[in-house]
Amino acid sequence: MITIEFSVNDKTYVLEVDPRERLLDVLRNRLGLMGTKEGCGEGECGACTVILDGKTVNSCLILAGQVHNSVITTIEGVGNRQSPHPVQKAFVEVGAVQCGFCTPGMVLSAKNLLDKNPHPSDEEIGVALSGNLCRCTGYDKILRAVKLAAEEGKQ
Amino acid sequence: MKYYQPQSVNEAIEIAHSSQGMFLAGGTDLVLQMQKRKIQPKALIDLGRIPELRDIKETKEYIEIGSMATFSDMGQNQLIAEKAASLWLACQTMGSPQIRNQATIGGNLGNCSPAADGLPPLLALGAEAVLISGEGEKQMPLADLLEQTPLLSPGTLIVGFKIPKIYQLSGFAKLGRREALAIARLSVAVALELDGSKAGKVRVALGAVGRRAFLSDSLAQALSQREFNESWLELGISQVQGVVRAALGDRASAPYKRVAVAGVFREAIASLRQQGGLDK
Repeated sequence: MITIEFSVNDKTYVLEVDPRERLLDVLRNRLGLMGTKEGCGEGECGACTVILDGKTVNSCLILAGQVHNSVITTIEGVGNRQSPHPVQKAFVEVGAVQCGFCTPGMVLSAKNLLDKNPHPSDEEIGVALSGNLCRCTGYDKILRAVKLAAEEGKQ
Repeated sequence: MKYYQPQSVNEAIEIAHSSQGMFLAGGTDLVLQMQKRKIQPKALIDLGRIPELRDIKETKEYIEIGSMATFSDMGQNQLIAEKAASLWLACQTMGSPQIRNQATIGGNLGNCSPAADGLPPLLALGAEAVLISGEGEKQMPLADLLEQTPLLSPGTLIVGFKIPKIYQLSGFAKLGRREALAIARLSVAVALELDGSKAGKVRVALGAVGRRAFLSDSLAQALSQREFNESWLELGISQVQGVVRAALGDRASAPYKRVAVAGVFREAIASLRQQGGLDK
């Protein structure tokens, strides 16, 4: 077992973990943060996306030890029912959510994009979301929602 | 399984010697293989805490890239965009943003998939690989290293790559089943030394054609020291098709790839032309 210390959604945790545990397992099983989903488990679908030290990563491909001393944001740290994040608000408004399984990852990829580039082009939005697969929506409404969130940010 | 996080290259080498552990770079390949139980290391030596391995810098003769530089680090680096365009282009299309943020160029070589996106550009650009082990540091052409089996002796750490500043122009193109998240079915990297309107020294490397990425001597010979024009391009296409035919033999993918490589080669040359303002 190894000891890791890291911050998740502005809260510091010190945990004893098996070095083979993936970040995804630590988030879901130990911290109970079920918003991070496991889709393919092979880094293809992006359902397990989290923001690690300011960058989106697939938490299914990262070992717990690799995030020692890191700062992580999961979907639980982005917004809530009372005060949703502008991206979440836009997703609801546009109807960009169907089954919802890809949504946490989509929202995190979109949020991270807008944090760094508040006025992205359509192409930049497409690239930022290219690591997140959605089998329901056909992507159009998701892209529109991110655009809407960016436009709302301008006002 | 033990887990180490050395703070320096020397410490990493010592741990590798005593623990017989495996080096962990970004983990995007290794974690998956551990998950599928294809690899069950005794110990892991996480290289993520050695800042010097992540450096990208310019020296008098080289662009030097540390093995732990991620595809995002390289793909957002001005120096690489200007002086190693082929590699920069490969970094834009490799995996997905999430993978590019985590996967490293050293890991790309260590895992050495036939379709590794970083290797054809490094081969075309004439990169030297810098390795270190208990016996000391060693530098060798990546092309030679890729002919070794096994690729690396146990306990050998990939320190990084040195790209000589010889080739003013370089390009890259890959064929995948979709735009993002596609493993390369075929990739072509080209580097070219411009000599007036002539192509001086030319190097062409192919990926996903056979076991490992490779540099084609016959293409280099056919295309070097010639007028760089449309007939050069047509010559390149017919030659590259011959190389793919020879490399793949009667593999199932051969009839497809030897035709498809024409388009991929054309695209790689188009990406190269864009840098040099060669199009009138």
